[in-house]
Amino acid sequence: MFFHIVLERNMQLHPRFFGRNLRENLVSKLMKDVEGTCSGRHGFVVAITGIESIGKGLIRDGTGFVTFPIKYQCVVFRPFKGEILEAVVTLVNKMGFFAEAGPVQIFVSKHLIPDDMEFQAGDMPNYTTSDGSVKIQKECEVRLKIIGTRVDATEIFCVGTIKDDFLGVINDPAAG
Amino acid sequence: MDDHYPVPSAFSLLNQVLDEYHKSFGETWRSAKEDPTLTTWPYLLEALNKFQDPAEADKLLKIQRELDETKIILHKTIDSLLERGEKLDSLVEKSSDLSMASQMSVASDSPVHSSSSDDLAAFLDDELETVEEVEIEEASSSKGECDHPGSFGNMCFVCGKKLEETGVSFRYIHKEMRLNQDEISRLRDSDMGFLQRQRKLYLVLDLDHTLLNSTILRDLKPEEEYLYSHTHSLQDVSGGSLFKMEFMHMMTKLRPFVHSFLKEASEMFVMYIYTMGDRPYARQMAKLLDPKGEYFGDRIISRDDGTVRHQKSLDVVLGQESAVLILDDTENAWPNHKDNLIVIERYHFFASSCRQFDHKYKSLSELKSDESEPDGALATVLKVLKQAHALFFENVDEDISNKDVRLMLKQVRKEILKGCKVVFSRVFPTKAKPEDHPLWKMAEDLGATCATEVDASVTHVVAMEMGTEKARWAVREKKFVVHRGWIDAANYLWKKQPEENFSLEQLKKQQGTEEE
Repeated sequence: MFFHIVLERNMQLHPRFFGRNLRENLVSKLMKDVEGTCSGRHGFVVAITGIESIGKGLIRDGTGFVTFPIKYQCVVFRPFKGEILEAVVTLVNKMGFFAEAGPVQIFVSKHLIPDDMEFQAGDMPNYTTSDGSVKIQKECEVRLKIIGTRVDATEIFCVGTIKDDFLGVINDPAAG
Repeated sequence: MDDHYPVPSAFSLLNQVLDEYHKSFGETWRSAKEDPTLTTWPYLLEALNKFQDPAEADKLLKIQRELDETKIILHKTIDSLLERGEKLDSLVEKSSDLSMASQMSVASDSPVHSSSSDDLAAFLDDELETVEEVEIEEASSSKGECDHPGSFGNMCFVCGKKLEETGVSFRYIHKEMRLNQDEISRLRDSDMGFLQRQRKLYLVLDLDHTLLNSTILRDLKPEEEYLYSHTHSLQDVSGGSLFKMEFMHMMTKLRPFVHSFLKEASEMFVMYIYTMGDRPYARQMAKLLDPKGEYFGDRIISRDDGTVRHQKSLDVVLGQESAVLILDDTENAWPNHKDNLIVIERYHFFASSCRQFDHKYKSLSELKSDESEPDGALATVLKVLKQAHALFFENVDEDISNKDVRLMLKQVRKEILKGCKVVFSRVFPTKAKPEDHPLWKMAEDLGATCATEVDASVTHVVAMEMGTEKARWAVREKKFVVHRGWIDAANYLWKKQPEENFSLEQLKKQQGTEEE
């Protein structure tokens, strides 16, 4: 799920950036540092939408760096248990398949794929129903349900299932 | 002279007094004999008193002084104005903090209206966890406990529960993938059906000195400089065998016959790469050998993916051990799977490779030659693989779960020196038991029968010099006398070699040239 929230961060700035463009430098440094990172609490920071306030800078003893507390608005993405997501399949093997929904990597194990789908090996490994009507292979879009999430500093991992109603392949670009 | 009295004021004073004098006394001063002003002119006294203060005399000075005073007052005013402004700012901050605090305390009751979604996330988490617990209870009561077959990112990939690190890590599939032993066995078993239908087995291939030979660019000797002009383009690797990778500072030569080998082997085997190189190296070599990804897919195991350092093992290979064959140049890399292993002759193309193994011979690149394609090591091994495969799938309908490819390999090996009876002369140290010597065991694996004493059924005597009793007996009885290289060659070439090439005269010649 996406959220638009206000976060705060203390940014350290080297004195070489002081001057007319102090604010711009501060904001661009913030963007470089924060966009694309993850935290357990908020999830993946997708983009910064605006700066709410920049506090007074505090000069650090010993070095010449100045610390500014910045409050900024940003869009974050955090998957939750039980959430339904669409994802694109990236790898299929006999243990299940891997899919990606933006920065989030999701693994769906064979145990959580409907029993009527069998693994077919080959140069394009896939899961196919017994009548061949539904095929899950690389680059397919699937709708899946998240059953567990784990976040570390740079990535989010999820475990998903397609064994419930209304889950499974949405769109298969390889099919006619 | 009075220094404190400003000069312009003094002059203006004098002028004023003079004017007054003119007014009161006119021109009378011209004719005066004594000075009357000092006694009778009160104005002078007044003036002197008044002008003690120079400001009275000089209007300019007065105005200047007033201006200064005014300036000071203005300064004070502006300072106090700034102070007021600061005080107002701090008051604004305090009030906004207070309003935030008041809103947050309201938010804990109704999160939907909160402006801070920190707490929305926390609220959602709590709610979902309680719902999860209810769901899991229901699920586990109806479907039974989850036996956590494996984990992805430390979560069970069936129920999502957090797990400690258990099972075997399968980093080559995904760095967060771990599988339980039971699940591995289940996967291996379920695979057998697939193998049966496809008539395929597993083949694990080593890279260095088996399928190719790599060297760091820095280690190239001057005699090898000519290779720089013979490298193939990396854009389209088909048809090439010598590649230079600047970004890795390496040059790689693929073994002759490797493309045909892979093509034919892929029809009989599902193939894995298992190398002691690191992951980027393994991936790059796979791109050279298999640009379309059709032979290996994601089955590339590097030293970062193995479970025990400096050792290779089949624990991360998802296939039954009874259906896996291994092709490697180093026997000791596979301590637990020597029965599955086919040892191949090392491929030394570059000089650095020879040096690494202390070979005194010149490398193939220095000799400007290469292994023969149709007769090389890979071609020989391919024949062996075909034989083993044919034996395994001999009976079309037989259930292969009872068959063991290791036995097939042993069978193929035993054909090589079938019918030979070998006696060893002065090859083993006298203290040890000859049956335990690796050469004895090798000869037996190759199908020969070994004996310690000569008799009529003996066909070959293996000796290191002509003077021994057994050697002389062999010459008398017209039996073959060979040095141990004959057995080694049979082992590597999977074929009985002509005995003439391994006679003791040959050995003497070789030793002679080495000493020179």
